[in-house]
Amino acid sequence: MKVKVWGARGSVPAPGPEMNRYGGNTSCVQVTLSDGETLILDAGTGIRALGFALAAGMANINILLTHLHLDHIQGLMFFPPCFKTESRITIWGPGSPESSLEHRVARYISAPLSPVEVRELPCDVAFRDTPASEWELGAARVRAESVTHRGPTLGYRITDADTTLCYIPDHEPGLGASLEGVEPEWISGFDLARGAQLLIHDCQYTDDEYPEHVGWGHSPLGDALTFARRTEVERVLLFHHDPLHTDDFLDGFLDTAIDRWESLGGAAEQIDAAAERLQVAIGPARELAPGQL
Amino acid sequence: MAGSAQKPLELILARNLLTSISTPAFLVDADGVLLFYNEAAGALLGIPFEEAGRMGAKEWGSRFGPLDSDGRRIPLEELPLTIALREGRPAHSSFRIRSAAGDDHDIEVSALPISADAISGAMAIFWPRDHNAGAGGER
Repeated sequence: MKVKVWGARGSVPAPGPEMNRYGGNTSCVQVTLSDGETLILDAGTGIRALGFALAAGMANINILLTHLHLDHIQGLMFFPPCFKTESRITIWGPGSPESSLEHRVARYISAPLSPVEVRELPCDVAFRDTPASEWELGAARVRAESVTHRGPTLGYRITDADTTLCYIPDHEPGLGASLEGVEPEWISGFDLARGAQLLIHDCQYTDDEYPEHVGWGHSPLGDALTFARRTEVERVLLFHHDPLHTDDFLDGFLDTAIDRWESLGGAAEQIDAAAERLQVAIGPARELAPGQL
Repeated sequence: MAGSAQKPLELILARNLLTSISTPAFLVDADGVLLFYNEAAGALLGIPFEEAGRMGAKEWGSRFGPLDSDGRRIPLEELPLTIALREGRPAHSSFRIRSAAGDDHDIEVSALPISADAISGAMAIFWPRDHNAGAGGER
């Protein structure tokens, strides 16, 4: 399984010369499965460049939305395959008792916010609520579960043969609970992440910034690391960078993260900060001794 | 790695809420199994949840005595939590409970079902009517 980051920024696009290395585009991750199929995780502004990079002949595209906050759907209207008649795009996302996924996405892709309506898109587009149980997309088995954020939000667990990726870009599992002490069954997202070869996880704030943002739906570094350690993932990619965090800031933030990760018993090569165009190849699970990271 | 049988998000959030309030409160799953009660409830019942542990509906429905004003045991099916789970609606009642130390407390209880796709559990909040409880919610 190959993973490529096209947008790692949280909340709002943050372009600028001081953001060039980590990038200013919002959430979008490309996953290439062992059978060559591509899954796209979220449709933040990063999906625009991904759309240009996709092979011209690629007709079937699955986009898995974690939730419908603007930073996760804003790029949808600028995704080049949406404007090709040969494209067949399936958009997966959280269900709602109030209205269909299509209707909720169309609140954005409609006047006056958009010059086009969903029904005017030339591609063949379908909207599907994620099933309650695991389902198959190409070579992957996909599982979606609700996680702690503001509003209905999913995390995804994607397994291709013996390799598992977990994607929880917006997540505040430590809200109202100490992740250190609480039993696994009471930790939001635990079963999605446990034992994954790669966890892509929210890490929007420093621990010092977090008290000003409790309940906003995002994790401080300490909780992101604790979640990763408790779920015994092999690698973790810190994601959903705060729009105020510049390249220089994130360099220092990553150094701190590595130090703290090592103090928890992990290795430096297991942790990184997501950056646009970063590619990660992940392989089958290794055997873990109890408590080993 | 052994499975954790992770709880539905709505129960996780309910537990986190209960942990954060000073009003005594219970959380049960869809089968009526007591999953958690908070520190304030532990003070009222005379035993912290960490010591009491999980228990089935029959056990919690009798262990802490729910008694009417005449001292008769109240059947499980008449307790607010049971009604909330069975009928999917809020329920409220007043009765007496007996702590692990043998102290009686008059309380009012409001229970409400917790549902996402289906009813996954219920929570009950207790308001002590006497001044022996020590926990939040006294009046």
